[in-house]
Amino acid sequence: MADSPEAIQKARNKYLLVGLVLFVFTVVTYAVATQPWLDFGEHGFDAADATIGLGIATLKAGLVAAIFMHLSNEKRTVYVLIVIGISTAISLMGLTGWTFTDPIKYGDWKKGDKFYNPEKVVE
Amino acid sequence: MEIPFTVTARKDTGLFNAKVGIWLFLASEVMLFGGLFSGYVFLRIYADYPWPERTLPVLPGLINTFVLIGSSVTVVFAWASLKMRQWRRFQVFMSLTIACAGVFLILKGIEYKAKWEHQAVRMDDFAVIEGHTHKAELDEKGHMHVAHGHGEEEHGTRFWANRLIFKTEAASFSLVRAYEPWVDTMLEQAKERHAELVASEDVFLYGHPADYPAPEVERKAAEQKLIGEHKNSKPSQHRFGKNSLYVAKGTPLNYRLLEKARGVFVAGRAGNAKVRTRVLRSKWDVAHAEHPGKPNWEIADRVKIEPADLAGKVVGLTPALSFDLKPAIPLVLKRSWIRNRPLAAGAEKASLRDDTSLTGHLEDSPIALAVDAVDFRFMAMKAEEADKNPMTVIERSWIFSEKNAHAEDFKKVWELHKKRIKKVEEHLVDKYGYKDEAKKIPDRVPTETERYRIGWKDLVQYARAQKMGVEPGQKEFAKLRPTMTEGFAGPNHKNKEYTEELHPFLELEIPHQKVSLESKFTPKWNTYYAIYFTLTGLHGLHVVGGAIVLSYYLFFSKGLYRRNPEWLANRVEVGGLFWHFVDLVWIFLFPILYLM
Amino acid sequence: MSAEAAAEDHDDHHHELPFWRKYIYSTDHKVIGIQYGVTALLFLAFGFFLMMVMRWSIAYPEEPLPGWMSWVFSEEWKARWLQDGRLTGETYNMFGAMHGTIMVFLGIVPLGFAAFGNFVTPLQIGTVDMAFPKLNMVSYWCYGVGGLLMLGSFFMESGAAKSGWTNYSPLANFADGQIINQFLAGQTQWLLGMVFLITSSLLGAINFLTTIINLRAKGMTWMRLPFFVWAILVTGFLLLLAFPPLEVAALMQLMDRTVGSSFFVPTGLYTKTAGVIEASGGGSPLLYQHLFWFLGHPEVYVLLIPAIACVAEVIPVNTRKPLWGYKPMVWSILCVGFLSFVVWAHHMYLTGMGPVISTWFQTTTVMISVPSVILLTSLIISLWGGSIRFNVPMLWAVAFLPMFGIGGITGLPLAFNLVDLHLHDTYYVIGHFHYVVAPGVLFGFFAGIYHWFPKITGRHFDTFLGHLHFWPSLIFMNLLFFPMLVQGMAGFHRRWYNGGDAYLAKAEDSVNVFGNTVAEWIYLNPLMSWAAWLLALSQVPFVINLVFSIRWGKKIKNDNPWDATTLEWATPTPPPHGNFTFDVGAYRGPYEYSRDDHEGDFFPQWEEPRKDKPAEEPVKEPVK
Repeated sequence: MADSPEAIQKARNKYLLVGLVLFVFTVVTYAVATQPWLDFGEHGFDAADATIGLGIATLKAGLVAAIFMHLSNEKRTVYVLIVIGISTAISLMGLTGWTFTDPIKYGDWKKGDKFYNPEKVVE
Repeated sequence: MEIPFTVTARKDTGLFNAKVGIWLFLASEVMLFGGLFSGYVFLRIYADYPWPERTLPVLPGLINTFVLIGSSVTVVFAWASLKMRQWRRFQVFMSLTIACAGVFLILKGIEYKAKWEHQAVRMDDFAVIEGHTHKAELDEKGHMHVAHGHGEEEHGTRFWANRLIFKTEAASFSLVRAYEPWVDTMLEQAKERHAELVASEDVFLYGHPADYPAPEVERKAAEQKLIGEHKNSKPSQHRFGKNSLYVAKGTPLNYRLLEKARGVFVAGRAGNAKVRTRVLRSKWDVAHAEHPGKPNWEIADRVKIEPADLAGKVVGLTPALSFDLKPAIPLVLKRSWIRNRPLAAGAEKASLRDDTSLTGHLEDSPIALAVDAVDFRFMAMKAEEADKNPMTVIERSWIFSEKNAHAEDFKKVWELHKKRIKKVEEHLVDKYGYKDEAKKIPDRVPTETERYRIGWKDLVQYARAQKMGVEPGQKEFAKLRPTMTEGFAGPNHKNKEYTEELHPFLELEIPHQKVSLESKFTPKWNTYYAIYFTLTGLHGLHVVGGAIVLSYYLFFSKGLYRRNPEWLANRVEVGGLFWHFVDLVWIFLFPILYLM
Repeated sequence: MSAEAAAEDHDDHHHELPFWRKYIYSTDHKVIGIQYGVTALLFLAFGFFLMMVMRWSIAYPEEPLPGWMSWVFSEEWKARWLQDGRLTGETYNMFGAMHGTIMVFLGIVPLGFAAFGNFVTPLQIGTVDMAFPKLNMVSYWCYGVGGLLMLGSFFMESGAAKSGWTNYSPLANFADGQIINQFLAGQTQWLLGMVFLITSSLLGAINFLTTIINLRAKGMTWMRLPFFVWAILVTGFLLLLAFPPLEVAALMQLMDRTVGSSFFVPTGLYTKTAGVIEASGGGSPLLYQHLFWFLGHPEVYVLLIPAIACVAEVIPVNTRKPLWGYKPMVWSILCVGFLSFVVWAHHMYLTGMGPVISTWFQTTTVMISVPSVILLTSLIISLWGGSIRFNVPMLWAVAFLPMFGIGGITGLPLAFNLVDLHLHDTYYVIGHFHYVVAPGVLFGFFAGIYHWFPKITGRHFDTFLGHLHFWPSLIFMNLLFFPMLVQGMAGFHRRWYNGGDAYLAKAEDSVNVFGNTVAEWIYLNPLMSWAAWLLALSQVPFVINLVFSIRWGKKIKNDNPWDATTLEWATPTPPPHGNFTFDVGAYRGPYEYSRDDHEGDFFPQWEEPRKDKPAEEPVKEPVK
């Protein structure tokens, strides 16, 4: 944590700069999502758009966490707590996702079933 | 007794207590919002209906993003000012932060209100109609008609045109379950239409076996009735015996009467149960004595209560009271009150969820709305699943059929829409070419939303043109399309003058039998809105909570500032950390809910 | 620190607080611990009563409840919920769901984590109170409100929640759906009560973790912490990180019930009373199960770990030997905590998960048995070569070991998804988890209660009553739960309200294999029910002991009646506000008994090293 007046002043400038960067990133996210000339991948919303949108969001989140929440100045204890929290969240989402994508399938496959893949159906 | 490290940091962890606490709390909040986000992901991936992509108006969300980012900057400046012991600056920045929170919540409120006032209907052929319900009223014959314009208070209160009109002759109320607000609503409507709910017949409700039967009471009641008719006084109920109630035919309904009757019913039921239990216990004692050592499951079928055991000791119970509506009037009921859905046209019995049973006749109760979107995506999805051509199915649906009085208008709009989509297809082929030259498969195609959903701008453009007598082919037609600044939080249905001047809409009356689900844009409508309101609502509650804490620091901390400014700075820092987390969540919410 | 900062803290010790500030709205961790303890014991008794009624219906199906059991209910209640005095299926389910909920969320967790944790942790780490005393009080009152909501729901027209303590959608979505005002429905109140209980646990976890991380006394390094504190640390993390997804699930189910959303409602759901549900559909009942069990599995470790903690404190004191394998035990408990987050779907093997993901969960579940076994084995080996004092706390602690052992071993077949196909939802599962929680965890807690009672009250429990409590409890616990394992393997389902009589083969020469198997083992039902009722009687000596000894128990001779080494025994008895009367520090490990280089039989943690003796161990400066 900054303590001296000069350090706080420098920190203030850093905060302003980061704020500005966040504004710019928000505009970029909006533009990528709505402007047709910035449409990557398929027409309309698809995985590429999702990746870019979430990627920018993660960057912004990282900036907020590191600079505004002083994470870059903290000692190890806080990092341990955060890493534990985030890895638990990821294991919740990841493992739950895995259960959905590895289902047991009974009965006949038909068109419209999730994961229906005629080439993989064994007669 | 002082708790160490409340203000100064402990050396090895580098943290003071509140900071450890807030980071732990934030870890649990990560899990909370993580759970909701994973719910979002699974609901979206495994949705068996077309997920609404980019249907939310983006502008309020975008402004809110800027507002929250700004408030993050101001809150950290507030903390820095406090560290520098600049009290005034702290106040300024903290006030700005709270003001930003206020702006956020106001915009959120506007967004929510627009959704809660927006009607959506899913038909049984999977067409989705969105719009704004009209107000309606009943005429003398009890038929519903849309109330256009102001001040047409001819035949009683207006109601939203998504109700069911059931012309009721009689109503039977469950004593235990009748729901007071619904009973009161029916009484109010009856009063308005100068009708009365009166008991259909003489009823004796017995609460104690000693009161049964009551020939003396019956004789007296018959006498009273004669006197009553003679003297022109109203029939009523009165208690008799140990715990019983007599309700005369013609007694007017009120909830107190039902409560009294319920008391008698419950007492009677309790008395009966006590007797039956005693009898059954003695039967079991006998059975055990006759078959020593045998377990219950071998002798249970031999142990029964015989009617003779109960003679004279139990009472007959009356679980419901029946009332006639004199004269029979149409009652306006919310669809969600009905249990035996779907009610067929002209159905003669309606069961409400509180076990009230209505006898009569279901009138035509179409949902009358001003349409601002027609969405065939679900229909198209179902058609594809059944291996049918979506366009064929769409063009044969109810909205374009002769059963719809407004079919012509919608057919014309659909033709315009198809032309527009063709243009988009051609534009995409021009720009991006073919993926497969031989089979002429374009690299990019219009989205499902573009192809199958007619948005509000198309409908308003057509409705305006219709009103002004402009034909679609003419030049002025293009100018009538709503611009980007109209519809900040969606199509504006606000007041009649504004609507009729700028935004006329196409009308539609959907017969109630064809409605499979109707709702406002609330969590009930689909899982998208469910998760949207849960995520933004919970986030909004966190904004409110954070704003309250920060306000406390703004208004009530002068004393602490004088005594121990470092402690205040620490508390503000901890509050700021929470505030940044709230901003962080919104940074993810905005693209996920609004832009994807 | 300025003097005003101390005044910020309301508990001014210069004058006596009024009764309500001292005992009801106290912020002192010891008072709060006792509040939690008393409330939790009352809830445990209530949950036990619910089960006693259920066991009547299992043992004596079709027979009305006996007078000695039914006198507590009013005639109106009996008329509504019993059929001619017999338990109906609906009432059985209601009692079953609330038995589970009350025992787990209102009984064991508050007793273990909140009661023991609150009283002992600040004392054992050598500090004055919890990091956030007011938050501590708020946690207790959230628990109180949640508990009251749960209890109050019994008196609603709809009755209390009745869809299992697990509350799966879509059943739990629609149970009590006939109640128009959903806030008066028992199922909804269950959800609201859970929100309060979760809030209470979250706030408590934050408090405990901050206290342990930041308020340890000087010299109290991580590896000098008593094992109890490590256990509370891990439990705190489990609660902190695992409860929010359940809060999410409860919130979503609440929304499904009140505003008609379809988070957990699949498309086209049909019920008998309402026909095709008028809801949007598109939701997933499986999502609820994942969110529930993401908490549910760490929750069972939250139940277990404080009990291991109590046993780990009682054993060294009464063997006069250090805990064997302290370091491996610490690493094991950290591993158990970490692994408990990635095993949850072993409760969901029958939901249609594919072989790969099932194998993942099977593997992690089997893996988690390894650190658990390390813990149990270390505790057992700690007895070896000890000079064992078989006082009453030690009896409970030693009995915990084989009981938890049986519970743990019977869990292993359930870990394998192939075997679980047969055992899922049978009495085997009930036998397994009750072995862990009832003779396991509860015995551990009794060990703790008997062990710390002298420090809390300054008096000893009566030994004879203690034995009268222990021996019958041990016998009846086993008579009650062991046959469940047998019945479960024979295929008896859970939640059969008449004990299985509906499934008995009717004819003499029936070829109904299942019916014949049920007929073979159904005779165990009355035996188990009587064991349950006698088990209830066996708790009476404990209640008498508690009430008697608080006033007339034998007074302790000094502040450390057990000659223990951990810091809580260095305070006056009972510990005053502020706990320690001297500048306390930790100068050595927590279990320094029978040291070769020390004259006495034990070397307490707080005793300063003698100046003339060489340093016992190089004191490492904590480097972080």
